[in-house]
Amino acid sequence: MSAEIVLSVRNLSKLFDGKPPVKAVDGISFQLAKGEVLGLLGLNGAGKTTTIQMLMGTLTYTSGSIHYFGQDFLKHRKDILRRVVFASTYASLPWLLTIEQNLKVFGRLAGLSGLMINERADPLLERFGILDKKKKPVSSLSSGQITRLMLVKAFLPMPDIVLLDEPTASLDPDMAQDVLAFLQGERKKRGLSILFASHRMDEVSELCDRVIFLHKGQIVADDKPEILARSVSRYKLRLHVGDGLKRSMSLAEKMQLSFAVNERVIEVTLDEGQIPTFLMALGQAGVFYSSIKILEPSLEDYFLMMARKKS
Amino acid sequence: MILSMRRIGAVFLRYFYTITGLHQITELFFWPLIEILLWGLTTVWLQQQQDMPNLALIILTALIFFQIITRAANDISVSLLQEFWNRNLSNLFSTPLTEVEWALGTILLSFCKIIIGLSFGALVVYLLYALNVFVVGWYFLPFAASLMLSGLALGFLSACVIIRWGQKLEMLAWMMAFFFAPFSAVFYPVDSLPMWAQTISWCLPMTYVFEGMRQVLLNGVFCLNDFLISLGLNAIYLAGAVFLFKYSFKCSRVKGLARLE
Repeated sequence: MSAEIVLSVRNLSKLFDGKPPVKAVDGISFQLAKGEVLGLLGLNGAGKTTTIQMLMGTLTYTSGSIHYFGQDFLKHRKDILRRVVFASTYASLPWLLTIEQNLKVFGRLAGLSGLMINERADPLLERFGILDKKKKPVSSLSSGQITRLMLVKAFLPMPDIVLLDEPTASLDPDMAQDVLAFLQGERKKRGLSILFASHRMDEVSELCDRVIFLHKGQIVADDKPEILARSVSRYKLRLHVGDGLKRSMSLAEKMQLSFAVNERVIEVTLDEGQIPTFLMALGQAGVFYSSIKILEPSLEDYFLMMARKKS
Repeated sequence: MILSMRRIGAVFLRYFYTITGLHQITELFFWPLIEILLWGLTTVWLQQQQDMPNLALIILTALIFFQIITRAANDISVSLLQEFWNRNLSNLFSTPLTEVEWALGTILLSFCKIIIGLSFGALVVYLLYALNVFVVGWYFLPFAASLMLSGLALGFLSACVIIRWGQKLEMLAWMMAFFFAPFSAVFYPVDSLPMWAQTISWCLPMTYVFEGMRQVLLNGVFCLNDFLISLGLNAIYLAGAVFLFKYSFKCSRVKGLARLE
């Protein structure tokens, strides 16, 4: 049985007026299933934020369609936005209002009663480590605390879908990990679907079931993160050379491999199939190395490869 | 203390760079012009009124009731600006909230603030000058209601410009009510204005209210006809301003609300 589709985007385009007009998003189509985490990757200006803005209704689209839960977003905006929320590091909240006051406002906007807001707010604030700041104005919070408050605000109405734009950009690594764990938990617990735009490739790899790579407003790749990473054939071979560093360098040059040297460590970039040949050549040349590490390509390598290719 | 001309020059430059902005132009030209017009015309009119009774009451009542217009106008447009300054517009409108619901919420708060402001102003006038601005009796209710509608229309008008063209026109939030003040016969009657200005005056709903209020204070007569004209004009302008506000919001979504933050 196929998974329930909660978001369906068809041929979505956005053309901004100008001389010349700019096609920020160019006919993209994708779906998000219940309980799925979909990553949105791309270079700056690729169309990620434009796409998210259209998905949350603060930017109109030029053509195409957006359907949430099988309903047209334009026709059922109010009903849909009770179940779909947005959080971004780059948005903020009224600065002079306290955390508590902000949550009262946004809880009501999402259709919650005062009682429900009180019941849900404290556990969420505690979960994100800002319960003690509840009575403090937003202006007194650090950027990391504001980001966490944005997440509390987003999860207050217990949404079915969250659109997250760089949700961990201003967080410490430990807090970022905590946020990812929370998202994973929500997804397992109640089938939360997530659209996750981020520049942190490690997070995308860890969290996302599938990744869409946008370039100049078009989808240039749509697959699982590990499959995208595997499409990069370039591995990195890192050797700590005890004797024969110069010989290692000349061998790499001879095989036309790119390399970098840092003190006694040489890092050679090569295809997977070239690894045994290079190691055999080193042995034959009498190179002695004390440690060896083969670095598999990651999603970051894929991102960098695409960036180089597209630029 | 050693002063650095270079640092002083840097500070001068920092503010000089913004002098060509609309903000500075407003500060340099609009406000002086409005104040000269408003108080100049008032003074000229006052000099001609040798034997008019209740002169202080007329001026102070007008002053307090004019606040209804500025309060209502500012509450709409400044509330909108607050969301720009707080980078909160995308947050608000990515919820089920509609523009009309937002507007009604701000109007409700504005109404409460007007009641508080009006009461406070009247109390201060009573305590300081022993004058009761509510001498107009229950007529103050229709007058206040009509002025509030005028203020809301002006507020929506400036809000629609701000939401369409962004923060660079934010000074409109404070300017709009005062822009029409010299023509609204707030402190002096319409016939003290030049003919061309009188034509503009009679197109403004506020004029009928302030003229009507003076009639009540001087003669104790409430001119229903004038009041109904002011209501009619308010209905037309408010409907137009709300329509423009909704249209501007729609246009703004085409470019994206986030660009306004």
